[in-house]
Amino acid sequence: MSLTVVLIIAVALAFDFFNGFHDAANSIATVVSTRVLSPRQAVAWAAFFNFAAFLIFGTAVAATIAKDVVDPAIFDNRVIFAGLVGAIAWDVITWYVGLPTSSSHALVGGMAGAAVAKAGWGSLIATGLQKIVVFIVLSPLIGLLLGFTIMVSVYWLFHRNQRVDRLNRGFRRMQLVSAAAFSLGHGANDAQKTMGVILALLIANKQVPVDSGVPLWVVLGAHTAIGLGTLFGGWRIVHTMGSKITKLTPVGGMSAELAAASTLFFTAHAGIPVSTTHTITGAIVGVGTTQRLSAVRWGVAGRVVWAWVLTIPGSFIVSYFAFLPFKGMG
Amino acid sequence: MRISRRALFFLAVALVFVLMVPPTPPEFRWLNLVMAGLALFWAALLAIEDLSNRRRDLGLPRYGGPSDLPSAD
Repeated sequence: MSLTVVLIIAVALAFDFFNGFHDAANSIATVVSTRVLSPRQAVAWAAFFNFAAFLIFGTAVAATIAKDVVDPAIFDNRVIFAGLVGAIAWDVITWYVGLPTSSSHALVGGMAGAAVAKAGWGSLIATGLQKIVVFIVLSPLIGLLLGFTIMVSVYWLFHRNQRVDRLNRGFRRMQLVSAAAFSLGHGANDAQKTMGVILALLIANKQVPVDSGVPLWVVLGAHTAIGLGTLFGGWRIVHTMGSKITKLTPVGGMSAELAAASTLFFTAHAGIPVSTTHTITGAIVGVGTTQRLSAVRWGVAGRVVWAWVLTIPGSFIVSYFAFLPFKGMG
Repeated sequence: MRISRRALFFLAVALVFVLMVPPTPPEFRWLNLVMAGLALFWAALLAIEDLSNRRRDLGLPRYGGPSDLPSAD
């Protein structure tokens, strides 16, 4: 394995670390804002389950990133490096301004931008991109509907129960389970995107055959990086997600996390790279809607939507220009 | 008769799921339809709740109450 490949793998793992730093805050936003766990405990809890995800889920999302977005024949060290640069730059910018955008879509936009800079629009695979773009819209709406449904179901089940304190204690405990489930979904979905990038790199450098699965060391490396990123996570976004969109109670937090986790389990199983940020935001909005529409701060939700809309074009443009200096090489 | 914004919101969500059916890959279209059905279910339930509350505010019994039954005389 050449030094260049090793360095690009290091950059990919750094992206994964940043993904944990940037996105994994979502896993703990509700559990912190409802004061079920202290920020420090919540971070450790989420990091552990981010890492443990590799034991449960396959690598369908990694295969989608490696083979279904850009024609694998186009991938080379320059494309992958420029794609990662664009995605990381976009993540850093949005983290700095405290916007919960999607690292996943930044990665897809980044890879697409670098590939187009190298070989034109024909290098993109329309069906793979279509699947991803459709679920940009669907995943938050699924989270919203499931969040609303779970919350109303819980109300129906327990509304006659007079022991409010005992119920609240129960929901707080349940929130530990739901936060763990969401962190598993996050680890499965987001760590796999980095695995996909590294797999594409290994295929491009003929380190593994084209039809190869993801090597175990790549799986372990990606989950370790995202777990460590979560451990050092960014608090700006916790604040936006946990308290600015709507005020959450333990039962609301639990419902939102279960809704988002269910959505992520489905998409990880189906090999669809979705944004954990989109999904949990939709679920939080769904829970807020059970009170009334005005319980949701639509201004904040609207800013988040703008960030979503801009992510793929933004990272695409950065990666496109990041590739240009390399164009004469190779 | 006034339907709340919440019922209309879920109706709009159902509409988005239906509109997204054509671009969705065929193997996932069932998901759009299931979710559109769920959103419609909530829209209908919220609309019924709104109508029921309105009757109560006007001093009428809720739907299903005695006044909805045919009069005996």
